[in-house]
Amino acid sequence: MISPGIKRGTAELAVLSVLEAGALHGYEIARRIEYETKGSLRFTLAALYPMLYRLEKQRWIRGTWETSPNGRRRRCYRLTPTGKQKLSPLREQWTELFVALHRLAGVSDA
Amino acid sequence: MPDWCELVRQRLAGIRLDPDDAAQVIDELASHLEESYQNFRREGVAEQAAVGRALEEVDNWQQLRSAMELARKKEIDVNKRVTQFWLPAVVTLFLANTLLPVIQAFGPRWTPSPTPAGLIGWSPGAMVYVAWLVSLLFVGALGAYVSRRAGGSMRVEFMLLVFPVLPYLTFFLIGLPLHMILDERIARNVTVPALLIGLAAWVILPGSALLSGGLPMHYFASRRQS
Repeated sequence: MISPGIKRGTAELAVLSVLEAGALHGYEIARRIEYETKGSLRFTLAALYPMLYRLEKQRWIRGTWETSPNGRRRRCYRLTPTGKQKLSPLREQWTELFVALHRLAGVSDA
Repeated sequence: MPDWCELVRQRLAGIRLDPDDAAQVIDELASHLEESYQNFRREGVAEQAAVGRALEEVDNWQQLRSAMELARKKEIDVNKRVTQFWLPAVVTLFLANTLLPVIQAFGPRWTPSPTPAGLIGWSPGAMVYVAWLVSLLFVGALGAYVSRRAGGSMRVEFMLLVFPVLPYLTFFLIGLPLHMILDERIARNVTVPALLIGLAAWVILPGSALLSGGLPMHYFASRRQS
């Protein structure tokens, strides 16, 4: 299991990456990340939503209210053009980190 | 199935957010938990167990409430607005307006050139004006730097850089035409070319000087931060 400190750092990248494919609401974001990382990254509500609000304040993502098929109001998040711009350097930074760790300690990025 | 909204409202009772904000947070969290619950039910989990497993997504309601309060606090936005926009904008406005009389009083002095060609276009006023325009490059750079250090975006920097010329723009676009309508003497004395020259001298050129000094600073500061 990945430690909370590392998770916090990867959280922004994870959220932006899953939103790159299309708009999702909070629950879907959490499930998609969990699924794509085979359960290694799991967010509690206290970790996920404050981060979504922070990314929204930074205008990297935009949330809009929609009504689900069962009539429940839910907020759907989309990547903004600014968020798309930020995603690429974030990816590069994390790749650099993995490469550096790989060199240092044989940590694989795969 | 429980009333998820009511459940979340009870657990987050006393959350320090304004009512609209609190209602949105409750709606969003309730929607999340309800979907989680429905997902467990679809997987064949019994109702009570599904409720329990959905609620496991919240480790600690107290912690969730604090995290939500912090994330939604509007003061953070207000503080950001002050440090990223208002503070550098006021500094830029103040410097842009005080530097002109300062240069006039202590700046370069015009000395008549011995050659007739040197006299063309270099009146004492023009000398002071050009010196002021040059100083605006540095004022723009300073404003952009202060904003950039506080995390200001390109858009915020652009707005604060044009901020000092907005009073002049308002004067030329609204104040002066209004006076021309109301006062016949002003209407007779102000010509369209003079109006355009004034607009260029007090809005376009100073605005361009501020932007020319400030926008390169954005890239410079961004590169240093990265």
